[in-house]
This record gives sequence, C-alpha cells and structure tokens, in this order.
Amino acid sequence: MEIKTEQFTELAKKELKNERSRLFLKLIPPVMKAKREAGMGSLPDAPAAMACGAAMRAEVLARLPELLEEFEKNAKANGMKVVWARDDKEANEFIKNLAKEKGIKYVTKGKSMVTEETALNELLEKHGIEVWETDLGEFIAQQLHRPPFHIVGPAINVPVEEVRDLFIEKIGLKEPTLDPVQLGYAARLFLRDKFHHVQMGITGVNMAVAETGTIINVENEGNIRFTKSSPPVQVSVMSLEKVIPTMKDALHMIRLLCRNCTGQRLSVYISMDSGPKKKDEVDGPEELYLVIVDNGRSKIYQDAKAREALRCIRCGACLVACPVWRQVGGYAYGWAYSGPMGQILNPMLLGLDRTQELYRASTLCGACKSFCPVGIDHPSLFLYYRAKDVLGDPNFKSIDRPWTERQFFKMWSWAASTPWAWNMGVRMARPIMNKDAQNGVVRKAKGPFGGWFRTRDIPAMAVDTFHDRWKKIKKERG
Amino acid sequence: METSVRDEILAKLKAAPKAEVPTRPSLPPYKTLSMDREQLIAEFTARLAEEAVVVHRVKDLQEALDRLTVVAAEEGLKKVMTSTDDVISRLDLASWGRKNGIQVMTPRDFPDRYSYRDAVFDQAQAGITGADFAVAESATIGLIVNKDQARLVSVAPILHIAIVPVDRLVPVYEQAIEKVFGKKGEYPSQFVFITGPSMTGDIQGVLFKGMHGPRKVIVILVG
Repeated sequence: MEIKTEQFTELAKKELKNERSRLFLKLIPPVMKAKREAGMGSLPDAPAAMACGAAMRAEVLARLPELLEEFEKNAKANGMKVVWARDDKEANEFIKNLAKEKGIKYVTKGKSMVTEETALNELLEKHGIEVWETDLGEFIAQQLHRPPFHIVGPAINVPVEEVRDLFIEKIGLKEPTLDPVQLGYAARLFLRDKFHHVQMGITGVNMAVAETGTIINVENEGNIRFTKSSPPVQVSVMSLEKVIPTMKDALHMIRLLCRNCTGQRLSVYISMDSGPKKKDEVDGPEELYLVIVDNGRSKIYQDAKAREALRCIRCGACLVACPVWRQVGGYAYGWAYSGPMGQILNPMLLGLDRTQELYRASTLCGACKSFCPVGIDHPSLFLYYRAKDVLGDPNFKSIDRPWTERQFFKMWSWAASTPWAWNMGVRMARPIMNKDAQNGVVRKAKGPFGGWFRTRDIPAMAVDTFHDRWKKIKKERG
Repeated sequence: METSVRDEILAKLKAAPKAEVPTRPSLPPYKTLSMDREQLIAEFTARLAEEAVVVHRVKDLQEALDRLTVVAAEEGLKKVMTSTDDVISRLDLASWGRKNGIQVMTPRDFPDRYSYRDAVFDQAQAGITGADFAVAESATIGLIVNKDQARLVSVAPILHIAIVPVDRLVPVYEQAIEKVFGKKGEYPSQFVFITGPSMTGDIQGVLFKGMHGPRKVIVILVG
C-alpha cells in the first residue's frame, strides 16, 4: 500500500465530496456507537473495566522486555518457532523465504494490520506467491487496491454496486445481485476453495499470553480458524506490544475488545494456539512460526510519553468517536491505521515529518480518549507531537514549520511576553479589527485570519480596555 | 560477538526508561457468578437465542439421539463428520447413522490429513461435536482440540451441531480457562471459544450469518 500520510488535507477534501462515503458516515457510526454503549453496559462496572484495561496495558509496557522473554520461553516450550524481526524488510523476507522453501504457491491470510504496515502482500506477490486476504472486508479492499476505510471494517463503506461489479470481474459471480448477503455467500464459496487447498496460512495476533506462551485470535467470520486449521504451515505475525501477562488478563482484554469493537459480548471465535498440532491430531499446523516485529516500536518505547501509543489493542472505537474521522473516513489518513489511533501511531512509525497534518487534524475534543478501553490520552499525545515537531527533535524526525509561520509565532511570543509591545499592538489592531464589527461582534475578517472567522465570532475589542480603565482609576485614586 | 536480532531488540527495550507498574482497580463480579444451575441454564439458553442458535433441551443421551434424528431429518442430512470426543463417543453415532441411513464419518476414518480435509470440506453437510465447556456469560461453547476433537469439524461444514451436557456449564470464561491452562506446559495445541454461527457486517454494515464458518449452529442441551 502506498503511504500517503502527507496528503491528509487533499485526501480529506476529496472524501468530503464523496456522496456515498458521506451517506455511510452519516448512518453507520452512530449505530456502531450505540452498539458499543450497549455492549459496555453489559459489564457490571464499565468505567472500572476500562480503568483495569488501562492499568493492564500500562503494566505490559512497564514490563515489556520481561514479558516478551517469558512469552518466548513458554511459546518455544510449546513447540512454536519464534522469530524476531527488527523491521518490515526482515519480517517480510523471513516469510517469503519460508514460503519459497516450502514451495508455496499461495497463502490465505487472516486479518493482520502489522503485515499491512510491513506491506507483506506486495513482497510475496512480487516473488510469485499469490496472497488471498480472507476477511471479507480485507478481501474486497485488496481486490479494489484500496487502503482500509475503518480498521475493523476495511471495506464497509464500499457501495454494494461496486462489490457486485468487483465480484463479477474477480470471482465469477453469476447472479448480479445487490444483496450483501448473497454477495457474501459468493465470496464464501470462492474463498472456501482457497482454504480447502491452502498449504501455508498467515495470521495476525490479537494477544500473546506470556504466562502460557499462547497466541489468541479474535474474529467473527471463521477465516482465521480456517487459516490455522487447514494448512500444514502456520505463520502468525505480531507487533511486539501485543503481549499480555496472564490468561486471566487476556480474558479481561477480550471482554473489552469485543464490546468496544462491535458491541458484542464475545466475537464468534476466540482461538487460542499454544503450539503446532500434536502428533496424533488430524488437522492443524505441523509447524507454527511466530514472528515478533519491532519496526520502530523499540524506538517509540524509549520515550516515556510516546510509548502510551503502544497500548492500543486495535478495537477501532476511537474512529467512530472522532468528529474528524466521522466526516472524512479512513482513506484520508493515508495508511493502514486511521482515525485517532492512526494519528498517534503513524507519526511514531513514519516520523513527524511525514505526518504533520495527521496530529494536527484534531479539535482536541477528547472523544477518542473517553472511548479508549486502555486509557490512551490521544489529545495529549497530539500536543506532545506538535511540540516535538516545532522544537525540531531529530529523534522524532521533526522538521521545521513554514518560514512565515515561524516568524509569526516568534513575533507573537515576543509580543505576548513584552507588556508595552502587547498593549501597543492592541491599540494598533483595534481599529482594523473593529472595522468589521456589527453589534459589538466581529463575525468575519479579510486576509490571513479570515479562515479563523469562518466558524467563529469574537466580541469587538473594547474602546476602553481594562488597562486603560485601570490606569484611569489609579490616577483618580491618586 | 554477534548479537542476535532478538538480543538487539530486547537490549533496546531494557535500556529504555523504567516505569512503575500501576495498581489495578478491583472489579465487581459478573452477574452469572451468583446464579444457580437452573438460572445458568436459562441464561445460557437466552444468550444462545440472541445469537440465533437453535436450542433443544433433552433429559439424557437417549433423548439427545432421538432429537438428533429429528434434526437430521429437518436438515436433510445424509453425510456428517463428527468428533470422537467424550460426549460423542457415549452416543454411538456409528450405529445411529446406520439406523437412520446417514453416513457418519470421523477424521480418523481417513488415511491422511488431505483426504480427511477433502471430506470435511466437500462431503460433510454437518459437523457434530460435544462441548468441553459452555459459558453462560455469553452463549459460548469451549472446545479443546486434541486427537478426538479435530479443528475443521466445527468450522468447515455449514451446520454445526453441538451436544452440550449441562454439567459442562460454567458462569464465566475464567473457569474454563483455569481447567484448560491449569497444568504448566501441558496446554492443548488449540482451545477455541465458539459463540453462535459465523458472521460478518463487512458489506455496508449489513450483518449476516454464515460467512466462512457454519451458517447455523444447533445446540442439544442434555440433562
């Protein structure tokens, strides 16, 4: 997937004109929000559950290296082959080489966002290995060559007509139907054939339990179960922050994840693998490879504040909470991760320079933070990144702001800390500002600040300012 | 000395600033924990209904077989794949199949994994399993994968019939997990929680059952 994080404003403007996207965004997110609320309402104490989730993920980060070592030890004892990858290239190369070694013609994939991050599919296809995404939404997005619109429902915005046309072209759909159910059944038949004969399956990992060396996958469709059960080789890929201390902790996180994601108490299938198949079992992988991917996370981890972004469990609740995402949808964010979670993760993975608009595209309303089951404070991270960007921190690959902006703020901060200059500036600005005032309110202005007034008003500046009146009173009092 | 990739990554993580491990707030207990057997059964059944799972309550294994015969007729079943787990093995489905003109296959009837795979994908109209656990919290069935519980039997056929003895019912997931992961290092290769038929909403948010896994789940609750 081409990374377009620098083009947020352009892409957002384009998406704002997309009638179908706007219609979808008007109808579906409120439904998802309501489902989430109902789901969280089924917990005896939702705020406590969320606080517990936050404490758990904070603990994971505090103990990350130790938990990874514990997980690896137990996973290996269970027979898993654990492989570490510093970056996207190493992860992709390993999987490609394994597939080549095994003579694999095609793989089926269960949803894995980290492999979208590493662009695994492209690398495998380049080397002659067909990749079939099998989550219905991922399959549609893959066939349309589109990035995900929502991290959990990647093609949920695609109109049925487009899906029908796509299926006629790509999967031999016989009956041109507009019924999503019939279209889904057609995809089922097509992908079933892939599952039937697959020799290597690739999945992501929702949680890796350190206590037992177990990987957990959460899904509704069953494509991950097929991918883990049918082929003799399974490769599961996890980014290194997915570890969780104990099975009991994992259960709590699963309760939170499912409710925050789709409002369900539990997703249809929660499959927990603790190793390859045992000798006397008839299906399942003979070999189970677990790839632990860093790809910039150990660097993010060095910063005590930025590492909070690594708490994310990919529930997607922040997307439907966000007033910005709900206007523009996922494409505008330009990569695998969109919405507030993309706005905190992409800058850390790609650099503040490539994502300048992302962490600024926020009103800091805090809706995301209020929905987050693991207590991430997205607005404070946006402010943190903005500060790092302006201060030019090389660790974060920040770059300078435009020259005019820098000069303006230099002048502004000087004036704001120099009282006589400030007061003089006010006196000079007052006639200009108040020229456009009507009934004591300024509703519009020309020039560079006109944009500020497009959705805001400000009271006209007083002819007699507080400073003037104070001086007068002091003089009167002698 | 050459450091491995693993050591390099772990060293970086260990060199980072330390943070305190926060204390966790206490959580109130789930409401199913205070339910008695009959309430749990009622709760489980109600949750199953929410997931569009058809539930048949029967007295004992003989009634379960009779009910299975009815279900098989309703669903037009001629070929099924079953596990050989401790619930199913008590039912003698081989005889039941012969009596009712239904071909009852089990994974180990096949010489290798590929011929079994072909059968479970193309021939089995239903997968019939027992259940190791039934969790009232959310209409969830727990299956331990082993030589008598193959993975594909409960996911490949379009219909999944689960025979669930009521003594397998537990209030919350923790009790299932404690049993499954109780002995250090002796974990099943896979353990799966199944809650209703497979589903998706990936096309325009329209929810439907039967994406890749079973389109229909029938539970025969015994006892």
